[in-house]
Amino acid sequence: MAPIGVDEWVARQGERAEELPGWRGDAARFFARVGWWPKLAVIGLLGALFPVLSPNDFQLQVGINALLLAMLALGLNISVGWAGLLDLGYIAFYGFGAYGFALLSSQQLHSPDGIHLQAWQSIPMVLIAAAILGLLVGLPSRRLIGDYLAIVTLFFGEVWLEFTTNVATDKLGGPNGIPSIDPIKGFGQQILTLKGYYYFLLVAILVVIASLHLLDQSRTGRAWRAVREDPLAANMMTIPVNRLKLMAFSFGAVVAALAGTIFAASQGGVFPTDFDTPFLILIYAGLILGGSGSIAGAVLGGLVVSVTLEFLRNPTEAGYLFYGMIILTLVARTRPWVKLAGIVVGTVAFGYAAHAIVGAVSSAATAGSPHSGGWVGDLLGNWVIVPANPKNFGNICFVILICALIALVQMKRSTLRTVLLIPVIYLAACVWESRLAVEPSITRQILIGAILIVMMNWRPQGLLGRRRVEVV
Amino acid sequence: MAPLLELDRVGLAFGGLRALHELDLTLNEGEIVSVIGPNGAGKTTVFNLISGVYEPTSGDIRFAGESIVGKLPWQITRLGIARTFQSLRLFLNMTVKENVMAATYGHTKASPPESILRLPRARREERQVNAEAENVLSFFGERLMGYRWDQPAYVLSYANRRRLEIARAMAAKPQLLLLDEPAAGMNPNETLEMTELIGRLRDERGLTILVIEHDMHVVEGISDRVVALDHGEKIAE
Amino acid sequence: MHFFLQQVVNGLTTGSLYALIALGYSMVYGVLKLLNFAHGDLYMLGAFVGYFVLQWFGGADGLSIPVPLVLLFMFTAAAFSMGGLGMAIERFAYRPLRDAPRIAPLITALGVSFFLENAVLWLFGAQTRIYNTPEFISFKTGIHIGAFSIDIVRIMVIVLSLALMFALREIVNRTTLGKSMRAVAIDREAAEMLGINVDRTIALTFFLGSALAGIAGVMAGLVFNQVYNLIGFVAGLKAFTAAVVGGIGSLPGAVLGGLLIGLAESFAAGYISSTYQNLIVFGVLIVVMLVRPSGLLGHAKIEKV
Repeated sequence: MAPIGVDEWVARQGERAEELPGWRGDAARFFARVGWWPKLAVIGLLGALFPVLSPNDFQLQVGINALLLAMLALGLNISVGWAGLLDLGYIAFYGFGAYGFALLSSQQLHSPDGIHLQAWQSIPMVLIAAAILGLLVGLPSRRLIGDYLAIVTLFFGEVWLEFTTNVATDKLGGPNGIPSIDPIKGFGQQILTLKGYYYFLLVAILVVIASLHLLDQSRTGRAWRAVREDPLAANMMTIPVNRLKLMAFSFGAVVAALAGTIFAASQGGVFPTDFDTPFLILIYAGLILGGSGSIAGAVLGGLVVSVTLEFLRNPTEAGYLFYGMIILTLVARTRPWVKLAGIVVGTVAFGYAAHAIVGAVSSAATAGSPHSGGWVGDLLGNWVIVPANPKNFGNICFVILICALIALVQMKRSTLRTVLLIPVIYLAACVWESRLAVEPSITRQILIGAILIVMMNWRPQGLLGRRRVEVV
Repeated sequence: MAPLLELDRVGLAFGGLRALHELDLTLNEGEIVSVIGPNGAGKTTVFNLISGVYEPTSGDIRFAGESIVGKLPWQITRLGIARTFQSLRLFLNMTVKENVMAATYGHTKASPPESILRLPRARREERQVNAEAENVLSFFGERLMGYRWDQPAYVLSYANRRRLEIARAMAAKPQLLLLDEPAAGMNPNETLEMTELIGRLRDERGLTILVIEHDMHVVEGISDRVVALDHGEKIAE
Repeated sequence: MHFFLQQVVNGLTTGSLYALIALGYSMVYGVLKLLNFAHGDLYMLGAFVGYFVLQWFGGADGLSIPVPLVLLFMFTAAAFSMGGLGMAIERFAYRPLRDAPRIAPLITALGVSFFLENAVLWLFGAQTRIYNTPEFISFKTGIHIGAFSIDIVRIMVIVLSLALMFALREIVNRTTLGKSMRAVAIDREAAEMLGINVDRTIALTFFLGSALAGIAGVMAGLVFNQVYNLIGFVAGLKAFTAAVVGGIGSLPGAVLGGLLIGLAESFAAGYISSTYQNLIVFGVLIVVMLVRPSGLLGHAKIEKV
C-alpha cells in the first residue's frame, strides 16, 4: 500500500525551495554537472596563468602568500571543518614545518658546516615529524571537548612562540630566527626565483587539494563527518572517535608543515614572530569566510583574505576596496532601484551639505584632505569632512559609527532604517578618510576581527559552505 | 546452547544513586525480548551498559561467552551489538545513504593512504559498502530508496528517521540489535508497521533483538519474553 | 625564607588578579556555555580606563584629590564602564548566536577580542601607558617583618580581591539574581519556563563578570605599572587556564585555580627562571587536563544518552 502523501515531488520540495532563481539557478546546475576533476584542472590552469600575466616580483610574492594562506586554510579545515575540533594552536605546526626545514637546510645545527639536506630528503622528514607532533597535540582531545580543547591548543600555540623565542637560542636562533636557509634543491636543480616557488607551491597545493578530496570521499571522510555530527553516536556505530580525532590533527599538521617548509625556503629565513596568534586568526578568518567544511571554501577564503589584506596596504587601493564594497553591498541588497538611487543621491547631498556647513563654521575643521590618493581623493575633497588634525575627529566618529551600526542592525522599521543609512555611510567615509586609510596595518586587523564577527552572525557557513542543521 | 547475551548480577551506581541493582538477564540467539517499565526504571541504562557507555560497578556482561565489560563502545559494536537511541541521534547533515555507510567503518579496512590513492582494496570496499547500504535500506520498502539516498537526513519525517536509525544500526552487521523505544511517537499505522518490521528483522535477517518499549501492542506483537524493570530491579519476567 | 615568602606574596597577588578574571569566565561559561575569549581584553580596557581617570585627576605626580579617593574613582569607573561594555558585547555579538552551533560564538568571541585589541591600538596609539604608582603611593608603607615586607599596594590588591570574591559569593548564594544565575546555568530552557528572565540574568552576569575584570585591570596597572593593548591576551589565557584547572562553571574553582596558577608562576619565575614560567603554567594545565579533565572542583558533565 503506497503511504499517503509521500510522493517524490512533494518530498523534494525542500530541495527545490533551496534552488536559486533565474540565471543563478541555471549556473548552479551547470556547475553541479561538471565533474570535480575538470574543475580542478581549470583552477590549476588559471593558477598557472597568473605568473605568465603578471611577472612583477611584488605581485608574485602576493600570489605566493595567497597560496600559502589557502594551503593553511585547507589544513585547518581538516580539524575544524571536517572533524569539528577547535584547534587554536594550528599556527605551531606551520612554524614547526618552517623551523624543521630551516634546521635541516642551513648553518644552524652541527657547526661549522651545518646541515644541508636536499629538499626531497628534508621535506618528507619534516612532514613525518609533523604528523607525530599532530598526534601528540591531539592526545588531550581524547578527554576534552570543544571549548577545553580550544584553550589547550591556544596555549600550545603561545608556548611554541615562547619556545622558539627563548629556548635553546643558539640552536633555534632566538628572536632573530634562523637566517640563510637553502632554497629548495634536489637532483642538481634549485628553485631560486619567485616564479619557481610560485609554481612549486601551485603544484603542491593542487596535490593537497586532490588528496583531501579523495580522502573526503572515502570511509575516513565519512567517519570524520560522523564524528563532527555526533561523536557519541559515531562511537556506537563502530567508529573509533578518538583515533579519528588524532588523525585529523595529524593530517592538519602535515599540511601546515608542508606550507611551512615552502615558506622557509622561499623566504630564506624564519623568525618566531612569523608564527604568532594574529596570523592564526587570519587563517581562521579565511576558513570561516570561505566556508568551513568545504575544500573550495577553504581555498577561496584563504585567497580572498590574503589578497584583500594586500589591497589594504596602500591607501589608494584600500580606498577602492572600501568604497567598492559599500557600493557593491548597496547594489546587491537594495531593491527596488528607486530606493538605491535615493540612498546614493541622499548620501551625496548630505555629504556636500555637511561639508559646507561645517566648513562655514570652522575652516580648520575641513582643512585636511582625504587620505585616499588618486582620483578618488580628488573626488572626495569637497564631500568628506576631514579636519586639519584628523586624529581625534576620526576616533570620535569611529566610536559613533560603531554605535550607529549596532543601532542600525537592531532596527526593524524599513523607512527609518533606509534614512539612517545615509548619515551612517557618510560617517563611515569620514572615518575612513581621516584615519583608517592612513594606518592600514591596524585597519587590516580590525577588518579581520570584523569579518569573524559579521560572518558568524550573518552567514556562519561561509560563502561556499552549506547550511548545517544542528540539534542543540 | 549458550545464551548470546548474559547480564550477570549487573549493578550500576552513580555515587550514592543506585541506577541498577543486581540485574540478571539472558538472551538466546533468535529471541526477541522486550524490556518494559515506568520511566526512570533504568531501561536505557541497561542499553548504555551493554553498549559500553557506562561500566557496571558490579557484575559482568557477557556476549557470546566473553565478557565485554570495560571495552570501548566501538569495539563492542564491532563484536556484534548495535543499538538505536531513545531520542534520535542521526547524522543529520549527512545523506541517508552516508548515514548507513558510516556504520560500515568497522568492517572495512582501507587506510587513508589507500583511500587517497584509490588502491584496489579501497575501491572494492567502497563498492561493497555502497551495495550493503542499498541492501539494508531496501529492507524498509520504498520509503528509503531511490531519490531518498542523496537527501540529507534532516529532511526526513519522524517515522523515516526512526527507520533510518535502525538501518544504520543494521549496517554495522550486528548479531544483537538493541532498539530503544522504536515506536515512540508513532501513530497506530506506523506502530503496526514497526511491529512487523521487528519481526522481519529476526526472521529475514537473523537478528536477536532486545527492545525497550512502552506500547504494549508492540510488546505483545513481537516478544518471546518480557522483562519488567522498576527502580533498577527486575520485578517480573 | 624571605625569598620564599616573597614568592608566596607575589603569587597570591597575581593569583588574585587571575582569580578575578577567572571568576568572570566561569560565570559566563556557567550561564552561556561560552568561553568568552574577549574577557581578557576587558581586563586590558579596565586598566586603560583606570589610567585615564588617573590622568584626569592630574596624573601620578600631580594628583588634585587624595589618593584613596582617586583609587575609588578608578575602580568604580573601570567596573561600571567594563560592566556596561560587557553587557553590550553580549547583547550584540553573542545573543543572536544563542542557538547556533557551539563553534559560532567561539569564533565570534575571537573576532571581538581581536577587534578590541586593535581598536585600542588604533584609538590610543601603541605607546605603553605607565601608571607610575610609586609616585603617588609610597611602596614603603606596608607590613614589615624583619627583612621581609609586603607593600601596601599588594596588600590592597589581595584584600580587595578577597572582599570582592566574598561579595560575589553572597550575591550568588543569597540574592534572587544569584539564584537565577544558578538556575540558568543548570538548564536555560527550564529556567525560562519557570518565569526567570533569562536575557536579563545573562546580561547581569556579564555585567558582574566584566566589572570584576575591569577592577582587576586597574589593580594590574597599579601593581605592574605598564599598560598596553596586549596585556589582556596572556592574562586572559592564564585566567582561562585557572578557570579550567579549577573546574569551569565552578566559582570556588575559579578562585582556587587562579591562586594556584599565580603561585605556580611565581615559584617558577623565582626558583627556575622567568623565561620558562609560561611553559610551566602550560604544563600544569596539561597535567590537570589529563588527570582530572573536569577540573579540580568541577563536576563531570553527565550526558544523557
